[in-house]
Amino acid sequence: MTTEEAAVDDDGGRKHHLVHFDRHTPDYRDRFEDITHELHGQCPIAWTEAHGGHWVASGNREVFELARSAEFLSNDHDVKGERRGYKGISIPPPPRAREAQGGFLEMDPPDQRHYRQTLNPYLSPAAIQRWVPFVDEVVRASIDEKIESGYIDFVDDLANIVPAVLTLAMMGIPLEHWTIYNEPAHASVYTPPNSPDIQRVLDLSRKMGMDLMAQLAEIRKNPRPGLVDALVRADINGRNPDDGELLGVCALLIGGGFDTTTALTAHSLEWLSQHPEERTRLSRERKTLLDSATEEFLRFYTPAPGDGRTITADCEIAGTQFKEGERLWLSWAMANRDPSVFPDPDRIDMERKGNRHSSFGLGIHRCIGSNVARTVFKRMVTAVLDRMPDYECDPEGAVHYETIGVIQGMRHLPATFTPGKRLGAGLDETLAELQKLCDEQRLAEPVTVRKSTARIDT
Amino acid sequence: MKVRVDPERCQGHTLCAMRAPDTFELSEIDGHSSVVAEEVPADQEADVREAVLSCPERAISLIS
Repeated sequence: MTTEEAAVDDDGGRKHHLVHFDRHTPDYRDRFEDITHELHGQCPIAWTEAHGGHWVASGNREVFELARSAEFLSNDHDVKGERRGYKGISIPPPPRAREAQGGFLEMDPPDQRHYRQTLNPYLSPAAIQRWVPFVDEVVRASIDEKIESGYIDFVDDLANIVPAVLTLAMMGIPLEHWTIYNEPAHASVYTPPNSPDIQRVLDLSRKMGMDLMAQLAEIRKNPRPGLVDALVRADINGRNPDDGELLGVCALLIGGGFDTTTALTAHSLEWLSQHPEERTRLSRERKTLLDSATEEFLRFYTPAPGDGRTITADCEIAGTQFKEGERLWLSWAMANRDPSVFPDPDRIDMERKGNRHSSFGLGIHRCIGSNVARTVFKRMVTAVLDRMPDYECDPEGAVHYETIGVIQGMRHLPATFTPGKRLGAGLDETLAELQKLCDEQRLAEPVTVRKSTARIDT
Repeated sequence: MKVRVDPERCQGHTLCAMRAPDTFELSEIDGHSSVVAEEVPADQEADVREAVLSCPERAISLIS
């Protein structure tokens, strides 16, 4: 990126902070810290001509003020051209042929609020707390598959599995289907459209979509507790949404529930391997340190680095004049590195105070799965610290996403460790057992219906 | 010292209850925060100040 300070005055000076900024390039990942500080220093709100032209907000104060200006921002993705033709939260939007509304993250109130009210009782801290024994069993079984060998790929063998299985359990989808969902959920994020692999990924995505449609139809007919059940019976501002709309909502829950927590866990385990003293400290002082360390990993790695918005009316926010219809990128990742809020922002400080990061977004669209993410992350990391405390990641085998425009993720993180003993059954057998518990104890009911924690008999 | 949560600003990030669990309680339904009691006991003041500084939505205010 280069900044052309005040070089272009194309629009009454409004866009005088013109930058070359394209977050979909490998260069943005490679030079993320330099680019971020350059933007902070010169133009915390800048205009780039990339992807049809859009604003980029990187400063913490600017991102905060913009994200909280709900009256001037829209998330709407008007795929059918029924409203104002806005393009949702992806910049650029997906190709026309694959354009679909991304659930309630690409809606505005009141519909967006109705969806969240429908799903919140499944996703609140109290609701998630009930799942902890279930999560621990999936973690235990995933680690048991590898513990005797002394070798694990933390992405493929742990951090992909647990979020996927839990998300499906909460949705009310059979656990054994996790493999149908797992590969496309990750590969569709990291596979560029020009990759030779793209056809395979699109085929897998289509199979996932077909399974989702089948689940929606089945659960409409035969109620089964979970998020899908809540959706097919939902009253959204006086209407019952059709399966096409609900497919987008389910894809949002899967997209939000799978790759993001995987990304956070993999990066954090990689960092802890590179900083063994910090790892020992985190394990030893976890009672006091795990919460703040989790927030710090969230801040530093920001798995979902930002969201697009559309300006709904001419306005001035944080000193910049915006016009109706203009696109805006809110960079949570760059706001999280603003030195005016986070001293020494490019350093991980597991005890960091005043860590008001925006990794789950800000305002009415705060990540609805934030409590799931934190819980699953903490259970996976502490299990690794307990069962493979001396693990060492292999830097040669670690594969980061080439670009971080959508998710700052990892494809592989192989590690070796001193082998240990299995504690129980393998993954397939465990998932079959857990499926029985889901059905018998109706674990996926909302917290308003079932208060008690999952009981695992071992 | 007194503390308040602005219900219009709170979006349920839950960091306040993580930092000062004796002062803030979270809705079972949506995780949004409210204060157990406005008056903050002296031994909780440091935690409450940290909760104020941790709130991503800047929804918590102190009244001294």
